[in-house]
Amino acid sequence: MSVFQRARMRRALAQCAPITDKPSVDRATRSAVQRTRQGKRAPEFALQEGFDRAVALLVQTIPVAPEVAEWFANENLVPVAKRSWRSFAFNPAVLAVAFAVAVITGIFGYRVHEHMRDFPDAANARKLLTVASSTRSVLLDPVKTDAGALGDFFFMKHQLDHYDVPPKFASFRTLGCRVFDDDEVRRVAQIWVTEKHMQFFLFPAEKNPKDGRVQNFSGWKFVEQEGWTGAVKQENGICFMVAVSGTEGDLAPYLKKAER
Amino acid sequence: MTGDAAKAQDVFQATVREAAMRAARGDAASDRLWFFRDARGRCLRAMEEDLQAEALELDEREISPSAPARIARLDAEQLAIWISAAPEPQRSALAFYYIDEFAPREMLSLLEMKVPELARLVASARRQFQAWLDATIPHEEEA
Repeated sequence: MSVFQRARMRRALAQCAPITDKPSVDRATRSAVQRTRQGKRAPEFALQEGFDRAVALLVQTIPVAPEVAEWFANENLVPVAKRSWRSFAFNPAVLAVAFAVAVITGIFGYRVHEHMRDFPDAANARKLLTVASSTRSVLLDPVKTDAGALGDFFFMKHQLDHYDVPPKFASFRTLGCRVFDDDEVRRVAQIWVTEKHMQFFLFPAEKNPKDGRVQNFSGWKFVEQEGWTGAVKQENGICFMVAVSGTEGDLAPYLKKAER
Repeated sequence: MTGDAAKAQDVFQATVREAAMRAARGDAASDRLWFFRDARGRCLRAMEEDLQAEALELDEREISPSAPARIARLDAEQLAIWISAAPEPQRSALAFYYIDEFAPREMLSLLEMKVPELARLVASARRQFQAWLDATIPHEEEA
């Protein structure tokens, strides 16, 4: 419906506006009456309302035969229609509230689901996934070897003990690596491998601030961030994360292989 | 609707009888406006048998601020006669509109018409009634 058609319809609805307020009046009519009362035609509309009220009042005084009147002694002339569940459900206010509740529930559910999967080093792992997504190959020192061989290199050059790639990922060919310091994660070793442009991260496991002990967890844990997925495993107080641009499904075959 | 109280009462009784018969047959109308639909149909049929008024182009005037006061001085019968003399479907539209019991949607359903047509009929009736008022209760009679 064009703007002109809508204006014409509003004017028509105002011309046959209900004389008194009724609960069964539809939204379009209520809105047309409201807009006309506040618009340019307000004085003209006030005259119309006064005229209609006077006529309706006169109509009420039309005598009704007693035998007809007794039929309506205990009832309304027109029974009020019950609002159907459909008209209630499609009310814009109800729709807006339902939509808002659905969004809040969705976010709450997502956060709960996310926290249920959390593990002690999840925050650090997510931070490193952000590093993975922004890293370019030129930032790394080019090293072409097996990933497993870099454990000794990290120990010899950077004094990083236990920074070892798990045996099942040890045969992956590398493109480059680097060691960098992070304020929260501390010393991180990053390895770029040829297989599916995966990246490996080795970083110290988080310690309990109360007793200074490493917070252990077993098996592979998953984290997701900015379209990247990481699978994290902890051994000897060092976390190993294999990160890939994609979903858990992209990592699953490698982890199965690693478990065997 | 009929311009005749006795005829209106006959229509009412015929509608009540029909409703009672339908209820006895277990065929009560599910439409809550059935009573009015049926009564209107009977009124129209009753009016068809009467003499038909000639179609006239009635004078129209804009609504005056003094109209409510002048309407209050009218006799209810004068108004009833004026409405019953209106041509169909304007007569039905005025009857349903000024009885002030129906929501616009219900009126449209009863009259089987669209909003612009109902608006046109009611608006033109107001202006015609104003012209009739001006002729019946002249301005000098006011106050």
